[in-house]
Amino acid sequence: MQENLIKISFSLNGNAVETEVSPELTVLEMLRRNFRLTAAKEGCGKGECGACTVMLNEQPINSCIKLAATLNKADSLVSVEGLNEDKLMKNIQDAYVEEGAVQCGFCIPGMTITSHYLLKNNPNPDAHAIKQALSGNICRCTGYRKIEAAVKKAADRSSKS
Amino acid sequence: MSNVEFIKPTSLQDACEALMKPDYLAIAGGSDLIVKMRNGMYPNLKGLVDISGLPPLNTIRTDENAVIIGSGCTMNQIAKDQLIKDYFPALAKAASTVGALQIRNSATIGGNVANASPAGDTIPALFTLVADIMIIGCNGRRQIPIVEFFLSPGKTKLAPGEIIEGFKLLLRKTRGEFLKLGERRAHAISKINMAVSTWNDGKNHYRIAMGSVAPTVLRCREAEEYLESSEQLDDNTIARAAEIVSETAKPISDLRSTKAYRKQMAGVLLKRALQNLR
Ligand SMILES: Cc1cc2nc3c(=O)[nH]c(=O)nc-3n(C[C@H](O)[C@H](O)[C@H](O)COP(=O)(O)OP(=O)(O)OC[C@H]3O[C@@H](n4cnc5c(N)ncnc54)[C@H](O)[C@@H]3O)c2cc1C
Ligand code: FES
Ligand code: FES
Repeated sequence: MQENLIKISFSLNGNAVETEVSPELTVLEMLRRNFRLTAAKEGCGKGECGACTVMLNEQPINSCIKLAATLNKADSLVSVEGLNEDKLMKNIQDAYVEEGAVQCGFCIPGMTITSHYLLKNNPNPDAHAIKQALSGNICRCTGYRKIEAAVKKAADRSSKS
Repeated sequence: MSNVEFIKPTSLQDACEALMKPDYLAIAGGSDLIVKMRNGMYPNLKGLVDISGLPPLNTIRTDENAVIIGSGCTMNQIAKDQLIKDYFPALAKAASTVGALQIRNSATIGGNVANASPAGDTIPALFTLVADIMIIGCNGRRQIPIVEFFLSPGKTKLAPGEIIEGFKLLLRKTRGEFLKLGERRAHAISKINMAVSTWNDGKNHYRIAMGSVAPTVLRCREAEEYLESSEQLDDNTIARAAEIVSETAKPISDLRSTKAYRKQMAGVLLKRALQNLR
């Protein structure tokens, strides 16, 4: 059987890229296979857990339910790796570690990128806003309290600096 | 290995032509379709037609005395839109309850309606706002009132080659509420959902619709007429209206809930909605 490959180009972590994908390949699979960017993870593969969260045009999406072939030239995709030099992301990641909010770690790339989106758009979220923003990210280990505390700590620290 | 054809049309016309072929499906946000494909629900799928990149579908605009919401608008786009919030609060609220943040950035209103789930959250809201569905096909355009659009779960009046272009709502200020009950508060499919919209043009109008209580979304005319004929919205009126919707509901028992619970909750949701609108 001949495989149908589609050529796509878009911006990935700030760089213009091109790749070839089969019609049913998801953005998550593309990131992991074609680009070896493995921060985003497949937890459920059906939009329910948020472990695969990435930013598409500055909005968080579940990359497991977005087809890579639907990406367009004007699209900008950012994964956790693209935020390696980002000060706010560094602050968030440090706060997660300090608060003991990381156990097995599987949910953490999704948690931190969603936290980053939250703090970028709402630098001083209250407890409700934090819960609300992270409601699409499931963690099977921590019980969420420490994660919420980490986001609060990162927020307090960024607003001081 | 995949031998599905992937088509990126550059115009609505091309999209409609591609969708004339059997076993070709439109894909917008993909949040319903990809999950279903994964679950093996489309073993004969031959092609996907990506309508997400067609600009006319992605805007909310006014046209004389109507508002046209493009089918490709996402739930977050609708929930945040000031015009929608001011004029059609039931719809803004419904959109804001779909899934979690990440889902609302992908899920489109056109996909929600075309998917025709009895639990689709924007559908009751569009019922109460008396929306017309704007359809485009190879032979031109047509409009269908949303109350006539659904045939059964997953089945609509869309013919092969037709796509939903948008939703046309009269530019009229309404007040409204949308409430749903699910297993938990974050991104759960509704066990039951309800929209209420009301407006006054010299006389009070009410529209009430609920989902997941029948094979398709149900409009509750009796309760609407009762409210329109009532002098005021006092506790007794609300209690009676709640009884009426509870009687109107024809739910089934399924995985998500039982018949008795759904009937009772129909009344409870209407009571809460009307209290909030008082
Ligand atoms: C984790 C999760 C949580 C969810 N929570 C909710 C929820 O709380 N409430 C709710 O209502 N839904 C929910 N959904 C379902 C889904 O997200 C919505 O129904 C969404 O609005 C579908 O839109 P889409 O653009 O992703 O559709 P797609 O998946 O792209 O398409 C769905 C169907 O509609 C057709 N279609 C799409 N656009 C058009 C068009 N313009 N014209 C004709 N046909 C079209 C497609 O061919 C397909 O058959 C959830 C889904 C997931 C995965
Ligand atoms: S893997 Fe994408 S939401 Fe769970
Ligand atoms: S730390 Fe294990 S899932 Fe969150």
